[in-house]
Amino acid sequence: MNKSFIAQNPSVLWFLAALGLFTLAVTLLSEATGVGLISTSFVKTLGKTLCLCLIAIAMDVVWGYCGILSLGHFAFFGIGGYAVGMWLMYARTEGIVLESLSGQVIPPTPQEISDAIGNQIFGVVGSSDFPLIWAFADNLFLQLAMVVLIPGLLALVFGWLAFRSRVTGVYLSILTQAMTLALSLYLFQNDSGLRGNNGLSGLQNIPGFEATPQATISIVFFLVSALALGLGYVFFAWVISGKMGSVVKGIRDNEARVRFLGYHVESYKLFIFTITAIISGIAGALYYPQAGIINPGEIAPITSIYLAVWVAIGGRGRLYGAVIGAAFVSLLSSWFTGGGAPDINLGFYTIQWTDWWLVLLGLSFVAVTLFFPKGIGGLFDYLVRKPS
Amino acid sequence: MAQKLKQTALIAATLMGTTTMAFAECADPIKVGVLHSLSGTMAISETTLKDTMLMLIEKQNAAGGVLGCEIEAVVVDPASDWPLFAEKARELLTVHEVDVIFGNWTSVSRKSVLPVIEELNGLLFYPVQYEGEESSKNVFYTGAAPNQQAIPAVDYFLEELGVEKFALLGTDYVYPRTTNNILEQYLQDNGIATDDIFVNYTPFGHSDWATIVADVVALGEDGKQVGVISTINGDANIGFYKELAAAGVSADDIPVVAFSVGEEELSGLDTSNLVGHLAAWNYFQSAETDANAEFISAWKDFAGEERVTNDPMEAHYIGFNMWVNAVTSAGTTEVDAVRTAMYGQEFPNLTGGTAVMLPNHHLAKPVLIGEITADGQFDIISQTKEVPGDAWTDFLPASKVLTSDWKDLGCGMYNIETKTCVQLTSNY
Amino acid sequence: MRRILIAIALCCGSAFSGHAQELQQILQVHADEVAKPSRRSVSVVLEDLVASGLPQVPVFLEKWSAKNVWQREDGVFFIATADGDDLKLQDIDTGGETSAPKSTFKQLKPNGGVRRVIGTALVQFQLSDPDLTRREAAVISIARRPDAAQLAPLVASIEDEPDPALKARKTQLANFLTARFGETPQDRIAAIESLSTDTSVEARSVLNQILTVKSGVSASEPEGNLARILDPSQAPDAFYPQLVEAGLAPAETTPAMIRAVLEANIDGGTVGGVPLAQLNSETARYRAYAALAREGLAPPLVTEDTREYTVGAYVFYELYDEEDPAITDAAATALASVEQRVAIAQTADLALDGLSLASIYFLAAIGLAITFGVMGVINMAHGEFIMMGAYTGYVVQLFVPDYTISILIALPLAFAVTFGAGVTMERLVIRHLYHRPLETLLATFGISIALQQLAKNIFGTQARPLTSPDWLDGAWVMSDVIQISYIRIAIFVLALIFLALILFVLKRTRLGLEVRAVTQNPGMAASMGINPDRINMLTFGLGSGIAGIAGVAIGLYAKVTSEMGSEYIVQSFMTVVVGGVGNVWGTLAGASMIGFLQKGIEWLNPSNTLAAQTYMILFIILFIQFRPKGIVAPKGRAAAD
Repeated sequence: MNKSFIAQNPSVLWFLAALGLFTLAVTLLSEATGVGLISTSFVKTLGKTLCLCLIAIAMDVVWGYCGILSLGHFAFFGIGGYAVGMWLMYARTEGIVLESLSGQVIPPTPQEISDAIGNQIFGVVGSSDFPLIWAFADNLFLQLAMVVLIPGLLALVFGWLAFRSRVTGVYLSILTQAMTLALSLYLFQNDSGLRGNNGLSGLQNIPGFEATPQATISIVFFLVSALALGLGYVFFAWVISGKMGSVVKGIRDNEARVRFLGYHVESYKLFIFTITAIISGIAGALYYPQAGIINPGEIAPITSIYLAVWVAIGGRGRLYGAVIGAAFVSLLSSWFTGGGAPDINLGFYTIQWTDWWLVLLGLSFVAVTLFFPKGIGGLFDYLVRKPS
Repeated sequence: MAQKLKQTALIAATLMGTTTMAFAECADPIKVGVLHSLSGTMAISETTLKDTMLMLIEKQNAAGGVLGCEIEAVVVDPASDWPLFAEKARELLTVHEVDVIFGNWTSVSRKSVLPVIEELNGLLFYPVQYEGEESSKNVFYTGAAPNQQAIPAVDYFLEELGVEKFALLGTDYVYPRTTNNILEQYLQDNGIATDDIFVNYTPFGHSDWATIVADVVALGEDGKQVGVISTINGDANIGFYKELAAAGVSADDIPVVAFSVGEEELSGLDTSNLVGHLAAWNYFQSAETDANAEFISAWKDFAGEERVTNDPMEAHYIGFNMWVNAVTSAGTTEVDAVRTAMYGQEFPNLTGGTAVMLPNHHLAKPVLIGEITADGQFDIISQTKEVPGDAWTDFLPASKVLTSDWKDLGCGMYNIETKTCVQLTSNY
Repeated sequence: MRRILIAIALCCGSAFSGHAQELQQILQVHADEVAKPSRRSVSVVLEDLVASGLPQVPVFLEKWSAKNVWQREDGVFFIATADGDDLKLQDIDTGGETSAPKSTFKQLKPNGGVRRVIGTALVQFQLSDPDLTRREAAVISIARRPDAAQLAPLVASIEDEPDPALKARKTQLANFLTARFGETPQDRIAAIESLSTDTSVEARSVLNQILTVKSGVSASEPEGNLARILDPSQAPDAFYPQLVEAGLAPAETTPAMIRAVLEANIDGGTVGGVPLAQLNSETARYRAYAALAREGLAPPLVTEDTREYTVGAYVFYELYDEEDPAITDAAATALASVEQRVAIAQTADLALDGLSLASIYFLAAIGLAITFGVMGVINMAHGEFIMMGAYTGYVVQLFVPDYTISILIALPLAFAVTFGAGVTMERLVIRHLYHRPLETLLATFGISIALQQLAKNIFGTQARPLTSPDWLDGAWVMSDVIQISYIRIAIFVLALIFLALILFVLKRTRLGLEVRAVTQNPGMAASMGINPDRINMLTFGLGSGIAGIAGVAIGLYAKVTSEMGSEYIVQSFMTVVVGGVGNVWGTLAGASMIGFLQKGIEWLNPSNTLAAQTYMILFIILFIQFRPKGIVAPKGRAAAD
């Protein structure tokens, strides 16, 4: 079985090799090893980019292979981030509170400890009570389970309702968009229990590793993200190979025909939708400790649309395409908006890329859809086919 | 010794009357990081502050720089993206190795940056009015704390306008929420019944204000004088004031005092129907002092004739000049030395009087209340003495017991009941 | 120093004219208060001024209130108007005019509260003034600060009032004042009863003022005009603090208090017999505290049970401030009747708001209903067409200063601009993607972000003013409860016009027939001699053009920013989808449902508009699950897709 799916997808080995080399190079050149050619902030950027690549392949599987254009996968990414963020905030604050209370003559009651933690975390939004959703925040393993369970359950329920009613095509896209909009509006409320617009912050400080320099922490997260991306790639390559893959691609190309062939189309779609949601959640859980802060703006509808843009530019229906798209566009974005690109002086007008980058991105996106539907990944086809 | 040399060189240069200063001998140039969004939703507000910083630095360099060195501005664009603020702050401190950062607008961006500057022991000057409840060792808050804007405005409502019933309208995020929590408690302490306080939160950019304005008008049904305290942010104000004007609510019937509406925001509005409504700030462009006239003309020369000045710009003006003076008196840009030198720094306000940097990293500044005029400016009708900024409000039970004093207590979150320092890092 | 200045000022003043007493003199006595007046203390000045009986007093008060009084460095007050860097001065007493540079003067700026007090003082001078605006000002002042002393002069002035509208208003106000301050209880009750049909805020405030209560607590039922007895057993927590405040019960024992007491009574590692290390639980602390209380070292422990018991032993009541029960009864009856009417009116107002919101959603979505609903093309840049329309309106206003004319130009121009943009987009992009709907979505999204950023680069991120003409200012006021701004009515009318227009175009014209033909079967339509390319182009242009007009309307009532389009896009898609794709009536139904429902949810939870939006979207998601084809589902062959 293993042999066959790797054989079907020779890109898997190439990809793993490239990822391995890249990871090794970055690690060796980072500040953690003392070389310091790559700054800690850039290691963090690269680590985050790997997480974006992971959700991009999930998006590619659900859209490029199964034909469901989900405009809501960043909601799952965000939930993953929130789930792990809750533990990070709670545990960090608990450490601080216990230390500050330890000096008192009368030992604190559990209620006092909990009040003090609540006050520290929610004082920002003018409250001090722990909402119900924080019930497991003190337990890392339960919170990590949430990273998988909540996106999975949400996708399962949402997908079951939607696929059962045969909501397809653009309707489904709009519905998924409405889902992420509803979630972000809900989280924007201050009484949502997750600190409203402020979100969860200070996530880069890992409880128990306060003394460890960020250079080390960043490289550890970078390595874990790379590992997750590698595993995710292999996993999805396996999912889309074999009979499963054929049915899924069949659904993309002609759903009615697959149904008439006797396959239970809804179950396949639901499986793909849920499994990609779970992987998205995991990607989010790895992303936000590197970003340091998560807030509802992160799951606004626009972010999920950008996800679709990455995959389309990279090339749909090929996993490496999604990786290339996500890495290429997000790094290019930060290069252009970060003032890295030189301004172009036209004499009568100076093009500043901070202003014009989005115009360029938008138009290039139109161009890709119109003229290169296979995206950047299509270039590989061209290169591979040429010798033959 | 090197210090002395620099000074001698500076004096020599001045004596020779050369316009180009001899900055060359500075092996380690003085770098000022500017961390304001130049793109995205916050660009409109923050670009102005970036320009203000560039203007101030240019002026300082023309006057001889600091410690005889030229100041170099390092401008980065965090693009209104909160995680990017943390990333850019790290970049400023580790890659560009800046001596100080001036930046941020929203509270959430500040909370994003806090862990990074505390980890790397940086120095940040934050110029915008905010909700308080924070005091970081590495941040100087040059904008207003709630007791320097909200509380005096409410006092004005209670004392001068005789308001007996309050509508607290705000955008749903942390600044209005916290401010309104504080105000609710403050109003209750001043004998306003809970039933006479109406609170409403709307999303960013809200445009459908008819129902809310009708609700506010209906508050007058028990014959009490109604007043509106608005913490509505940004664009949403336009729809709000338009609806207010359409409903014929004049400032004499139901006065509205806003905490987030300044000269910039009014430029998107026809203010003829809003004359008489109020705003509370520490600075208005219409303040009549020589320093302000000079500042405005310098700004117009630098940025354009049609540009207006506003409160956060004054905050940067004071903050930057205090930093320059602190560096000069410390003789170094090393963060801890500068921080110590900052305490007690005084600098004249643009509105008259003197701002003083307190050991809790906040300023003592006067509070101004202005009435909107037909030309989009504010007519200052009330000006208090300098009010010391309070990091932890006295009107919330959990914060009442906290105080901040980095000079003597060395703690930003000190519990005066248990006499312990709750934490040395800040609560982000 | 100040006294000397005043003395000099007085000398100078008396040198000008020979009056026995001058206004300037009186003002100088109160110079500080006049220069920096406060609501609470300004009445002293006003009383002196009015008592002087000088004819220049009303003029001075009006000028003072209008911020037209300036003070010279030496303290002398002048009536003045700014004229560049100079001031045109007018002597307060003689009226003699001079001019002087502004720099040596300080403008007096009485604040809103003071201006209101000045207004009240002016009432007696203005009530029978020949100038209508002055009389109106007087009436407004009375309405703002009703006062028993004003009743008699007001009633006296009604008789000779020439203006019928103002006369009616005076009569109404006199009635309000009589209800509160009338001489005899009969007068008052009659006035009160006449208010029982008046839903205005003023009338309700009169009744509520009569019915103000004081709450209290005592061991037995109190004397006086009793409003009601409250039942404390529902919420002992809320009532107990009242007892504490009245000194009838000991303060509650909070965990913080227990802690403080325990800390103060540490006795060699134990407190009240309990070792310190064990005090990390609530029960242990209670035990220790109880022990201390027994020894008399702490106040007795007030538990929930004691609280409930204590509260039950007292009477909590509310007493009317008004002593005559006949009057309060009449007022209570009148208020109950008014409130019933208000409730009905509020429902009507809510419905009106819902209707208005629905028409805004409809206007924003109708263009989309054509491109998405009829042609099946999903256009994410639709919101940006709305924005383009709004900016067109803004640009027109830059060149045409007259707001009425500029709107009349802006509406067709906005249509033309967005029609052109729509046709261009269709020709260049959408035409190539008719068989790939998901890719249309993404391509138009690319256009959307490019257009949005382009607008930012051209116009800046700041909101731009788009001002409505004077005749659209203000609101249609049916009563104080039911009112709607004219601009919203205009949007409603616009929505109706477009509904009719689109129905007409689709159902009654050749173009409409061809559009429907191409929609149903492009191949067949083409073979019938219809040019599908042309039809698609025109349909798309029409849909975009309407978005442009909607943009002008939305910009007028809300704001013009580069992001305004994106706020409507998701909402608009949901409107179309909920209503049922391919049907203009469906869009109408969708917009109505969303508009009314949102207002309904807002009404249920008035303090949080954001929550209303969240629940609204959740509802839509669920609704689509159960009616995937929308409210007005397409029938027959069109439904096959």
